[in-house]
Amino acid sequence: MADDKHLEDTGFEEEELEAKAYDSRLMKRLLKFAAKYWYLFLSALVLLFASTAADLARPYLMGITIDEFIKKGDISSLNKIGVYFLLLVLGAFIFNLLQIYVLSYAGQSIIFNIRQLLFSHMQKMPLSFFDKNPIGRLVTRVTNDTETLNDMYTNVLVTLLKDFIILAGTVVIMFRLDVKLTLISLAVMPVVIVLTVFFRIRIRKVYRNVRTSLAKINSVISENISGMRIIQLFGREKENFARFNKAGEDYHKAVMSQVVTFGLFRPVIEMLASLTMALLLWFSGLDMLKGTLQFGIVYAFVNYIGMLFQPINDLAEKYNILQSSMAASERIFLILDTPIEDDSGTVRLTDAVRGEIEFKNVWFAYSGEDWVLRDVSFRVPAGETVAIVGATGAGKTSIISLLSRLYEIQKGDILIDGINIRDISKDDLRRITGVVLQDVFLFSGKLKDNIRLNETGISDEKIIEAASYVNADSFISKLPQGYDTEVMERGATFSSGQRQLLAFARALAFDPAILVLDEATSNIDTETELLIQDALGKLTKNRTTVVIAHRLSTIQHADNIIVLHKGKVRESGNHQELLAKRGMYYSLYLLQYQKDDGVPV
Amino acid sequence: MGMLRYIGDLLLKHKYRYVLGVIFLICVDILQLIIPWILGEATNSLESGALSRDTLAGFAISLALAAAGIAVFRFLFRYTLYGVSRSVELSFRNRLYAHLQELSVNWFNTHKTGDLMAHATNDMDNVTMATGQGVIFAVDCLLVPIAALAMMWRTGGFALTAASFAPLLLLSVVVFLFMRIMQSAAHKQQEAFSNLTETARENFSGIRVIKSFVQEEKETERFRRANEASRRANLRFIRLMSMMFPSVMLVASLSFVIALWYGGLLVINGTIALGSFVAFNSYLGMLIWPITALGWVVNIFERGSVSLKRINTIMDEKPEITDRNTALPAPVAAGKGTVTGGAAGKGAVTDGAAGKGAAASGAVDTAAAAQDPVPLTDTDLEFRNLTFTYPGSSTPVLEDISFTLKKGRTLAIVGRTGSGKSTLINLIPRLLSVPDGSIFIGGRDINDIPLAQLRGSIGCVPQETFLFSDTIRNNIDFYRGFDMDNIEKASKTARLYDNIMEFPRQFDTVVGERGVTLSGGQKQRTAIARAVLGSPSMLILDDCLSAVDAKTEESILSDLKVIMKQRTSIIVSHRISAVKDADEIIVLDAGRIIERGSHASLISLGGYYSDLYNRQLLADEIEEAE
Repeated sequence: MADDKHLEDTGFEEEELEAKAYDSRLMKRLLKFAAKYWYLFLSALVLLFASTAADLARPYLMGITIDEFIKKGDISSLNKIGVYFLLLVLGAFIFNLLQIYVLSYAGQSIIFNIRQLLFSHMQKMPLSFFDKNPIGRLVTRVTNDTETLNDMYTNVLVTLLKDFIILAGTVVIMFRLDVKLTLISLAVMPVVIVLTVFFRIRIRKVYRNVRTSLAKINSVISENISGMRIIQLFGREKENFARFNKAGEDYHKAVMSQVVTFGLFRPVIEMLASLTMALLLWFSGLDMLKGTLQFGIVYAFVNYIGMLFQPINDLAEKYNILQSSMAASERIFLILDTPIEDDSGTVRLTDAVRGEIEFKNVWFAYSGEDWVLRDVSFRVPAGETVAIVGATGAGKTSIISLLSRLYEIQKGDILIDGINIRDISKDDLRRITGVVLQDVFLFSGKLKDNIRLNETGISDEKIIEAASYVNADSFISKLPQGYDTEVMERGATFSSGQRQLLAFARALAFDPAILVLDEATSNIDTETELLIQDALGKLTKNRTTVVIAHRLSTIQHADNIIVLHKGKVRESGNHQELLAKRGMYYSLYLLQYQKDDGVPV
Repeated sequence: MGMLRYIGDLLLKHKYRYVLGVIFLICVDILQLIIPWILGEATNSLESGALSRDTLAGFAISLALAAAGIAVFRFLFRYTLYGVSRSVELSFRNRLYAHLQELSVNWFNTHKTGDLMAHATNDMDNVTMATGQGVIFAVDCLLVPIAALAMMWRTGGFALTAASFAPLLLLSVVVFLFMRIMQSAAHKQQEAFSNLTETARENFSGIRVIKSFVQEEKETERFRRANEASRRANLRFIRLMSMMFPSVMLVASLSFVIALWYGGLLVINGTIALGSFVAFNSYLGMLIWPITALGWVVNIFERGSVSLKRINTIMDEKPEITDRNTALPAPVAAGKGTVTGGAAGKGAVTDGAAGKGAAASGAVDTAAAAQDPVPLTDTDLEFRNLTFTYPGSSTPVLEDISFTLKKGRTLAIVGRTGSGKSTLINLIPRLLSVPDGSIFIGGRDINDIPLAQLRGSIGCVPQETFLFSDTIRNNIDFYRGFDMDNIEKASKTARLYDNIMEFPRQFDTVVGERGVTLSGGQKQRTAIARAVLGSPSMLILDDCLSAVDAKTEESILSDLKVIMKQRTSIIVSHRISAVKDADEIIVLDAGRIIERGSHASLISLGGYYSDLYNRQLLADEIEEAE
């Protein structure tokens, strides 16, 4: 019943897209996750039967009690049935409790597994995947979409059966009690079913309106708050208030139509139940007058009628759950079906990596033919430092990503110790290259954990040793909590110089054969600057280093300088040679390094 | 009025609807009580042998009528009471928003958008819940048990009522306790879920570092811990849930067992009739829901009042920048208002570019004048020893700034990031609270000029452009009601017209999140079109061409220069090309003016400005290289 025309009116988020309510291909995959817990589902099913049976038995027993014991004045039997009732009630309690828990336990375990699978799959995705997908969306896949599936496992799979059992059980018992009364009771059922289906379709539309108009309010508020400056500058308060009011009124309208829809449905269904009761009263009264019907049976019927209405409403609701979980699973499987990073390299690097780097006619574009690097070739002998300079947009940063194969090059080769990096196992490749990026990413948690990351093999002593070596210890030890200081707001409380030093310590703690470094461009106070320069000297000693240089001192100390312009290598050589050339390096030197007072250009 | 100080009058306004709704609700409750009574009476007459076809028909019909009555009144009370709460919500949210609009830019800088959104949505929801559902449940929970108990007493006598009711008393305690424990469990569950979300979010944001340091497996392990913690917290909550509902059922069933057994005995003894027994059981059934819901009602009101307090805190905030009593509109030169043809007036900016704008400049648009105040005509600007410090800070961001800018002249401001340029710009339209006696327009302290008039006279292009997710036309017009001709002209001045024509729906193209994404340069040019459209008497351009390429910048500037000739203009830029033609250039550094003069004089001074100039020549050279 998934009406495709809904796909046309786009909701506010892609999450709003309506999916098919049932897709056997998706369902099969979803059931595979449940297969492992078949015993839990089976026991839930058994418990469900038991508790439902207990629920169904009660009106029946009540009827018997009235007809056989109360009306006949059989006190001892009444006492006995009182005990039975108590046992039945206790039994229902225990079965119910266990059934809910067992089922939820299964659901939670499945969700746990799906989340874990999804997350570990995402960890193996290439970096370009993370460039393409907004973080918020990826997080939603892992958290909310899996949560939606939980509803399917716990509220649909088994409980769907429960509704059927109740429906079937009630009808069977009623037929056994009295055929005529059963037919009378069921007379309104078709109307109830039609109404319920109709209501569900209608309420889905109403809900959609409520959701979209609420989303509209949210976006107008958020927009107006962010744009408050402009609104006040142009004195547009009145007009924007009108816009806001319009969104509020639309929401009000949508909500009121929800109130009306619900307001009509519930009372109408209840009225139908009461009408059935009136019919029952009339016909059963006639039979009782004739003496062909016992009172207790009528009493039981009245109770059973109430039991018929609930599952019908539930079934309709489960349809909705099924629908949203199909949509969620589709999104989840889409990610699970996305191929992971290529890692076909088999060469394992030993500890004796020399660290010689060579770029051979490398062409690279993030997408299509927008070449970022064009035919770039250079060689860095083991242990030497190469500085890459150039104006912004020259393609400098890409070189860093390519070296650890975070992106794939389109043409050419990158070699380390003469081995093509495509042939090296990715883990090894990345292990030998230590990366320090311009914007140092700090994780929440302690400072020391930001240096060792998750490597528990790196001891506290080694962390302190690394931090001291790169001069980070001087500011860390001044913090009240020292290395145990919690990083707040992604390290916003540290200066960019301090963050750079932390990144040095992190790189050193992993002791890579090759160091790749993107120097921070932002202003750093003189004292920290000196510490950084000193640390850099230590770090690059006897280590192959590729540095995207922004500081004159770094460049002067490099063994070789590569001038990159618009994706091409324009000049190379050492500082003095290049200056003597009076070419592009000379201009860059005059512009950026001659007098470093950080005027943005 | 205490907690209800901002919402009380709204509730009072609808007091009759509330009363009416509650009356409907009471009707439903009474009719509901009648049904068991009918069933009981029918049973009794059957047992006593008094039942005939006619009386039976009477019972059946009255049952049907009662059912119909319940349906009608139920719809009416839901419609009335939920309707009231939604009407109150609408007005209350509007009130909150209107209040927000009066608060200063500085206030918004210190409050997170996300929090404010939460107040306008979640907190508002909680308040609505209390004024709607809360009221309904409260009435139900109070009325139904009392009425049902009374009927039980009447039909079953005191002993049976007391015996059956005893477990239900226990039930309210059980539910209340469960609610308390579950609240903390739910809180922990929420925490674990946020932690899970945060772990995933942080991982995805730091994925580059993670991959570079080969931490994928270790991170998966870390995620597993968060995942496991979330599972455990969920299960703890579920354990309570799975206990609560069956427990409610258990206690309720105990009541029934007692009623069945003890009631049965009473029927056998002949103390009560079978019909009363039947009716009694139905009344008992009516008690369970309200008693279970009691804890919920308390919860709804608790949440509602917490949310209301949060909203009140914002409402209590006094607008920092307002018109003072002495603020009088500046006198308008005679004859200005008599300019006929509003459109011509609005077209001043773009017409000006064509060289015939002088006559129209400063003209008043008759249509706009109906709601917008008359713009200032005397716009000589003077800063007199201005020193400005942000509230809550001790170091001034601007110190001892003095300059005079005559109408028709242009001032350029250069300086590094953080030197105070944007603060200076923000002071002129009083987006920040300006100290008295420091800024004058037309010789009047700007604090004495009505805000609407002051801001209406300034066309400002801020550094960060902000576009609304609306059509490009509405973004340029900004709801001021200009006609299409003028909007097109303004977009031409901003060199945006050709881009717009390439969009799928041209001026009706929606921009932003749900529409076409504009480039940084296109956004800036939209903001320029927006600013020049108003034909403002003062023009302020705050680094508004940074994302526009050099060629487009040049052509926009050549048009803008013509416009700027007729008004008081300030231009902030890093680019020499944008500032070199200004009548005066000032260089700001750490809140002070360190250099001032014309382009030529600053070049020969050999300071910051000339250094900037030389660098840009070099940068251009490198850029040109191929």
